[in-house]
Amino acid sequence: MLKHLLVGSLWLVACDKGPTQGSAPAMHATPGEPVAGTTYGAGVALVEATPVDTILADPDGFKGKTVRVEGMVTDVCERRGCWFEMAGTGAGLKLRFKVADGAMTFPVEAKGKYAVAQGVVAVNELTLEQTREYAVEQAQEKGEKLDPATVTKPTQIVRLDGTGAVVREKK
Amino acid sequence: MQWRKLFRAVHRDLGYVAVALTISYALSGLAVNHLDDWNPNYRFTERSIDLGPLPAGSLADREAFVVEKLALDPRAVRGHFQDSPTQFRVFLTAGQEATVDIATGRGTLKSVTTRAVLFEVNALHLNNLKGVWTYVADLFALALMVLAITGMTMMKGARGIGGRGKWFVGAGLVIPIAFVIYMYS
Repeated sequence: MLKHLLVGSLWLVACDKGPTQGSAPAMHATPGEPVAGTTYGAGVALVEATPVDTILADPDGFKGKTVRVEGMVTDVCERRGCWFEMAGTGAGLKLRFKVADGAMTFPVEAKGKYAVAQGVVAVNELTLEQTREYAVEQAQEKGEKLDPATVTKPTQIVRLDGTGAVVREKK
Repeated sequence: MQWRKLFRAVHRDLGYVAVALTISYALSGLAVNHLDDWNPNYRFTERSIDLGPLPAGSLADREAFVVEKLALDPRAVRGHFQDSPTQFRVFLTAGQEATVDIATGRGTLKSVTTRAVLFEVNALHLNNLKGVWTYVADLFALALMVLAITGMTMMKGARGIGGRGKWFVGAGLVIPIAFVIYMYS
């Protein structure tokens, strides 16, 4: 269950840079060219994308910065559609794109599609108590139950406070 | 009085126009009011799968293995992701997903379907559509206000707003106010 918390954690296992998992190391779009796909919110204006892995490797370095991030959608908020997670290139590497409830609503069917997102990197240090509450909340969102006592260490949440996104079938 | 006749006509005809959306929004209101207890938009189904241990090769090899074992149409595959050292996921079209333990090959095949009618009315009620619908919803909200105000003028005399009507209106006001007081107490 703790893995749901560790959105930004690195799993020390072999990773595969296959065609479908994660985002490319360097990504540049053509300036002025609209991003293809279904647009949510303000869409995406930034041209240069920052890889999920780069942000998760140094979250404090990106804290408060507006970035464009791309990656395959691995999870979507099933109840409110208020967040989705994008895959990095490594195993377990995911970055959550979060919006206020109702600001944008992402369909569950977006899982496996490709997202281009823009937002501000937020880093929240949680206390152990907050970590437990968050873990329980996350478990509930997935329809699972979690004993908060199983969470023994405080964690850090790295996420993208989203301003806009574009979701399309493929990269 | 002439104004009462006008209000009655407005209430009647606007009421007809608002019937569909009023019922839709009320239905959606009931549905999303209990969001913590159920998912008002989607229905999920899961079935257990046991594919045997996944091959030690690349993630693409593992994806191919899962697709073959589940006899899936390769065209339905969107991608894959290793979520943890032990968990491998294959994403399929329409939100379907296979989650498999790499070592044992045991896992689930999860499917999702939208709840008919509810999904649509929730999208309207929660304004997921944005754009022009925002203004349609604004007009509907104004229409509800007009209906409420004109509704109070339907009857004259003892059954009107000047008679027992004012007590009913007051009762309707007291209930939310009581909860607001409770909220701040």
